[in-house]
Amino acid sequence: MKVFIVPPNSLILFDLVERYGHEPLSLMGAIHERVVNPEVESPPMNVTPDDVKKGLKYAGIEVPSGIRGRLAVWGPLVDQADAAIIMDDAPFEFGCVGCHRTDEMVRYLIRKRKIPFIVVRYPNDEEEAKVMVAKIKGFLEGLQ
Amino acid sequence: MAKEFETRMIVISPSSSVTPDQVTRLVHSLSLEITVKETCYGAMIEGSKEDVRNALIAIRKLDPDRIFTKVRGFPIGDTRRCRAHHGSRPGFTQLEKEWECLRLVDKGVSAAERGEPVRERPPPRKLSVKRLKEIVDEVSK
Repeated sequence: MKVFIVPPNSLILFDLVERYGHEPLSLMGAIHERVVNPEVESPPMNVTPDDVKKGLKYAGIEVPSGIRGRLAVWGPLVDQADAAIIMDDAPFEFGCVGCHRTDEMVRYLIRKRKIPFIVVRYPNDEEEAKVMVAKIKGFLEGLQ
Repeated sequence: MAKEFETRMIVISPSSSVTPDQVTRLVHSLSLEITVKETCYGAMIEGSKEDVRNALIAIRKLDPDRIFTKVRGFPIGDTRRCRAHHGSRPGFTQLEKEWECLRLVDKGVSAAERGEPVRERPPPRKLSVKRLKEIVDEVSK
């Protein structure tokens, strides 16, 4: 099953989803498609004008363009997802630094789709890490 | 390069005794058509999805619970990201943070493999206003 991860660029969540037999939907995969596509204009542009229009499906015109641009990449991933894993209480430098509003919108989109999801806490010690991995493993095994 | 190629980051947990050099040498010895670059955190590999998957299976065997991997958006040496070409490296804070956290996560993975029972602690509670006032009074004396 396809599992969306929040933050979508997380190494830990990506690895755990793959380790327990599912396909992670990540930001890196979406960006890879864009940056190796010859249609994309010169660097460092990796979002096309069409992407920004697609973002309108997920956020209104009055929403800042940065949020729409991000949602143009993240939104289709949420649409494809069969389940989601959200990491909460993470330090500020963990995840896509820059836009907390996008993060909130993505959580809203996940809840709106009514797909199974789990919220885990960022581990600060060994015991918390064991709880986090056990919860993720249990959730992913339960999806089959 | 084939259209369906993939770039992967191999990140070794700080608690592992495996070195990036070992990973790189192993990938070279597999005789697969993939590019490998040794880095401070592990290695990056790039090639067809099939070859990359085969290489990952072999790399994980070095230390199954302490070697982590994720897809990388930009190809190896891409001028938009490679520091040799003065590219920006915006994902580095995230990678650094997660690399530090891997020493905890690998313990979790090992515990999960053993089926060790875990007990979740309640989340930390916020300080009450009453207690805050008491602290302010204590400090103000």
